[in-house]
Amino acid sequence: MDTETSWAATSPALARWRAIPLGRRRQLLSVVLLALALAFPFTGVNPSHVDAAANAYTYVLLALGLNIVVGFAGLLDLGYAAFFAIGAYTYGAAASFQLKPAWSEAWAPLVWLGQVSRVPVDGQPDIVQLHFSFWFMLLVGALICAVFGVLFGAPTLRLRGDYLAIVTLGFGEIVPVLALNLEGLTNGAMGLPGVRTPRLFGFDFGFSPLPYYFLGLGLVALAVVVSLRLQESRVGRAWMAIREDELAAGAMGVSHVHYKLLAFAMGAAVGGLAGVFYVAKLTTATPDMFRFPVSVMILVMVVLGGMGSVRGVVIAALVLSFLQSTILQELTGYVNALGRQIGSGWLAKLQLINSLELIFGVILVLMMLFRREGLFPSVRRVSALTREQQAALPSRGTTVTLSWADPKPAGASPRPLLEIEGLTKRFGGVAAADSIDLTVRAGEILSVIGPNGSGKTTLFNLITGLAPRDAGVIRLEGEVISGLRAHEIVQRGVARTFQNIRLFNNLSVLENMLVGEHTRLRAGPLGAIFRPPRVREEERRAVESALEVLDLFGNRLIPRLDHPVYGLSYANRRRTEIARAIMTRPKLLLLDEPAAGMNPAETLELMDLVKALRTLGITIVLIEHKLDVVMDVSDRVVVLDHGVKIAEGKPVQVRNDEKVIEAYLGRRRRAA
Amino acid sequence: MSVFDVFLQQLVNGIALGMMYALLALGFTMVYGIIELINFAHFSVFMTGTFFGLLLLNALGYTGSSGALTGLALVGTLLLVFVVTMVATGCLGVVIERVCLRPVRGVSGTAPMITTIGVAFILINTILLTLGPQTKPFPKIIPDRRWLIGQAEISLSQVLLVVVGLVLMMGLNYLVRHTALGKAMRATAQDMDAAKMMGVDVDRVIILTFFLGSALAGAGSLFFGFYYGFTAFYIGYQTGLRAFTSAVLGGIGNIPGAVVGGLLIGLIQSLGGQLLEVKWTDVIIFSILIIVLVFRPAGLFGVQTPQKA
Amino acid sequence: MIRRGVIGTLAVLLAVGLLVVLPGSGGAQTKTYKIGMSIPVTGADADSSDAMVKGAQMAIDEINQKGGAAGNKLELWVLDSATPAAGQYDPAQAATNYRKYIADGAVVGAIGTMMSGEGKAISPIASEGDMATVSQSATNPDITDPKFKAQYRPKGKPVFFRNVTTDTYQGPNVAVYAKKTLNAKSVYVLDDSGAFGVGVANTFTKKAEELGIKVLGRDRLDPKEADYKTILTKIKGMNPDAIYYGGVQQAAVKLARQLHEIMPKVHKLGSDGIYDLSFPEQAGKDAAEGWVATIAAPDMLNDAKAQEWINKFKSKYKRDPQNYSITSYNGVLVIADAIERVAKAGKPVNKSNVREAIEKTKLNTLQGVIEYDENGDIKNKVVSVYQVKDGKFKYVGVAPEN
Repeated sequence: MDTETSWAATSPALARWRAIPLGRRRQLLSVVLLALALAFPFTGVNPSHVDAAANAYTYVLLALGLNIVVGFAGLLDLGYAAFFAIGAYTYGAAASFQLKPAWSEAWAPLVWLGQVSRVPVDGQPDIVQLHFSFWFMLLVGALICAVFGVLFGAPTLRLRGDYLAIVTLGFGEIVPVLALNLEGLTNGAMGLPGVRTPRLFGFDFGFSPLPYYFLGLGLVALAVVVSLRLQESRVGRAWMAIREDELAAGAMGVSHVHYKLLAFAMGAAVGGLAGVFYVAKLTTATPDMFRFPVSVMILVMVVLGGMGSVRGVVIAALVLSFLQSTILQELTGYVNALGRQIGSGWLAKLQLINSLELIFGVILVLMMLFRREGLFPSVRRVSALTREQQAALPSRGTTVTLSWADPKPAGASPRPLLEIEGLTKRFGGVAAADSIDLTVRAGEILSVIGPNGSGKTTLFNLITGLAPRDAGVIRLEGEVISGLRAHEIVQRGVARTFQNIRLFNNLSVLENMLVGEHTRLRAGPLGAIFRPPRVREEERRAVESALEVLDLFGNRLIPRLDHPVYGLSYANRRRTEIARAIMTRPKLLLLDEPAAGMNPAETLELMDLVKALRTLGITIVLIEHKLDVVMDVSDRVVVLDHGVKIAEGKPVQVRNDEKVIEAYLGRRRRAA
Repeated sequence: MSVFDVFLQQLVNGIALGMMYALLALGFTMVYGIIELINFAHFSVFMTGTFFGLLLLNALGYTGSSGALTGLALVGTLLLVFVVTMVATGCLGVVIERVCLRPVRGVSGTAPMITTIGVAFILINTILLTLGPQTKPFPKIIPDRRWLIGQAEISLSQVLLVVVGLVLMMGLNYLVRHTALGKAMRATAQDMDAAKMMGVDVDRVIILTFFLGSALAGAGSLFFGFYYGFTAFYIGYQTGLRAFTSAVLGGIGNIPGAVVGGLLIGLIQSLGGQLLEVKWTDVIIFSILIIVLVFRPAGLFGVQTPQKA
Repeated sequence: MIRRGVIGTLAVLLAVGLLVVLPGSGGAQTKTYKIGMSIPVTGADADSSDAMVKGAQMAIDEINQKGGAAGNKLELWVLDSATPAAGQYDPAQAATNYRKYIADGAVVGAIGTMMSGEGKAISPIASEGDMATVSQSATNPDITDPKFKAQYRPKGKPVFFRNVTTDTYQGPNVAVYAKKTLNAKSVYVLDDSGAFGVGVANTFTKKAEELGIKVLGRDRLDPKEADYKTILTKIKGMNPDAIYYGGVQQAAVKLARQLHEIMPKVHKLGSDGIYDLSFPEQAGKDAAEGWVATIAAPDMLNDAKAQEWINKFKSKYKRDPQNYSITSYNGVLVIADAIERVAKAGKPVNKSNVREAIEKTKLNTLQGVIEYDENGDIKNKVVSVYQVKDGKFKYVGVAPEN
């Protein structure tokens, strides 16, 4: 930061550049880079470098595709080259001499469309030669890969990260072997014969590198735009939420099944595009082109650039591709010449290209040890707080209103909000919840207390669907919600916070809030990419809604909107988590020890907020150890011990209940 | 050869092969059991082990064209080579743990696993760049004695492989179950923090685990060399992945399970090759890997361990 | 943060750009013609490729000592066609290399490719650039097959010339040898998953069936696999007279060792993929004994005429040559000869004219007279048979064509 300020101070040009808004700056930079890339082939470079650049674009595409899976959604895919292969063989089989089906009239419409030809064979029935349009197959290849992405991804959904990686590795090993052995489809090791080059309005791309260069550049630009737009959308936030904390994402209403499969599908589709492009350029394909080292090379690109950083991944993929195809070769030439000059036989014979895999290994280890976020981490728009902001007195929320809230007088509703009957959960022989019956009335503040291990958090997990119950029924406003999945329960209006704060640590406060809004937004991947007015409008409203909720916390969080939450103070992280839960517009808010770790003043501030939320019509269930807080804020108190409800009633009643004193306070006293 | 003899011979082949996978699978299983890390570097330690053994044998004057040894010379040489190679690979494992893995221990997510992939690449390419890409003949110092059962043959090296393998595994099992170190290892596996608080020197336990696992890989690598008569820089990956599949099949973290898993994979490979074609071997084995991971992640004999937070 | 990122980005792009724009190995000088040689210098085939590069380099040195081709100095421009991602030759890299040759006006032709897989990728590019490439060892027939003209030489003229015959002859001739000379009645066929191995095993199988040899089965070896005992036990149960192996060294060495343990007496047939002088040493003397190998060219190394050449090669490079060192050497001679004829005819020495002149090559070399047919295939379709005896390849004779 220091160096930056001094540059800005000494250089008026840079200062002026800085004055341009960030979005604009990025646009300008993109235009300049694109112009440079477009001009590159006409700068008098050797056509082989244009060719190498076109190959490099293939790798950039692959890296961007893998980045969706690994970087955005956090799913380590060690067999990504499988999709490259599937894309390549999809086009290769549909536009080469490989498949020669017998002619039948059913092919006639395709002949008319110019996608196949009828070829006479001496003394035998006619055959069909396939030459489907490259542009059509680009789409088909991407779609087929997306389907395979889902197929390969589906079995991994329940697996932990490292097992998932191994399963993808398994698929990555199987696909080239199939390509090798299914010779009818792929021609195996001999390679696809005569894949057709793309044609556009009668222009044949042929064997000059130039058209491929521009096509590759176009595909890369497309993938970059798609990646960037996805990243800053409902979809991207859902992926990153899953990456950061799958459980908490579920609790915010993000369906991990849906979004993981979507990530696999989209990542695979980009890999498929790369495959179709590559095989059309090379006009042949052999199974060896898609083995484990290729998957690792793509992974190295993503790791080096920074998982999740579109910009970093593009740069790293370009550099490593050129390192492989050009730089090391040329350097070898210079080093060998130097060796001959100074009479060093070792230098004269050194083949630097040999060391590339060694370099990959070193990159992986060094990055993991020293810079896991990559060389060019995704941009964090952190503007340091001004001195005034830092020193500002904490202020309470000015207006305690939420536009969507529906304040009803307490007890107005005829039915209880939440009804629990016979809820039971066992871990081995221990019952964490033993036939619990409980009703929560609309508009009340109910506290759940009990000694450690009495089953309070388990109760929350059961209500929110994060843990499966063994027996019992849970109803929300008369409808059964037990058995629904976590994200469905959130959608029905139950939100929670966690005892050990579970925020999405690498996302900003605002992004965390917007994940809370997830269930209210509609944008799917297409909406995220094309951003129609509907989507822009809902994003705008989501941000407004987030600001409205954050306003409940006065000047605590609003100045830190763009800060990643890992940098916040403990109390602010607690507040962010509560705010995020409020974002889901719950009818019922479950707070698990919200005041833990807060000082008395902060606790007081929080309890005022809790009361205020109740006036807004949000019913609250609170787990809390600070008994004075409980007694002060609660309408009713429920006491659990060993998974059994042992008392229920107004704070004063419970405080004087003999059983409670014995089971809870009494034991405490003895322990102390 | 009758059909029965062929079948018998494939059983013998499969058991010998499976024993080698088992020796390698033990290293995976121990490391995974303790720090829940899939250690790709283990493949490469195995591969490097074959070269340690080869260099040592060459230094002792045995080359690819040397004849077999007998009597005391054989026993002495084998003992020496096994001890030195196992200590060397064990130390290599310790260095990898100390330098590359300890700094990322406790980092959530896949960073530690990616690190091990990097280490694997470094080891493979170091061997490739220093010793070259050619297949290296391994001295056949074990005499080519064979016994016939019907028409099927059992060779001395197969017998040695199975016997020594079983002895090593029983020793390991004893160590884990009945010694103080074993208790510390099991405690660390259950809950690292709790073990720490109970006075277990967790760092030392982990280092010893890497040492033992890597030493077993060293033993496996020597059997590989003697059994197949060659080594090359690329052998680690495929053998390693199959050994890993064995560990998964037997229930990762489960020591007897790794042995049974290894034998099963060895048999599946030899009988699968007999009944189908060897060109499908990889498809079969990786399908098993995927199916077990997806439908029975605890393996055939694994006990579902409580989810660690 | 942001600014540092931007500057870093630009710096990296600039560095890449500079390296890319900088000229390769020195600028072109007048009267120096370059001959390209794109070959997998690194990776699995590094050793064979070394033997070939040295063969070509020896020809260049000799020509330059004698005053060059039509008075012009020649220079060999070797580019690596292997990439670490592939671990061996990579067709895409071969294509990039050939584009480099075509872009450079000083390049008049190329030696290569070594592998048929590369050949398929570069042939259309050479055709576009109207540049001849003389292959020392690529034997897949498709590349020069007129059936695939539209694919491999879109401009129509032959560009892929080869100093070896194709697998159309290599595999079948061994089948004839197995039938006629060895009187084999049954055979099991293996390949090594590679383009060459699968192709040559296919042509062998086809011919063997035609000849009435019973093909008991066909399977595929993974060259990175260690254990071939399973498949060999299976084969032993079928009790064939012979085993044919189509493929290269990597799997062959291991196959030979394990085959020797399991079926020492079976006839062992291979191709030029195992004709590597280090084969007997790597497989072990006993295991290699009796293996039959071929080359897709006349015998040269055991030829008295070649002895002088071999001694020279050995003393110059301190290593043994291979037959394909000689075909590489001859490739340079073919190009140099074409340059002389172009110069003599008073035409400018460039890619097109050299390519055209090569079509009419009639050159006496160590492998006999080199002449090409209208597709670029060598007219002399001799397949030579060798057998390992006492740890050395011994020339057996010419494999019969029928």
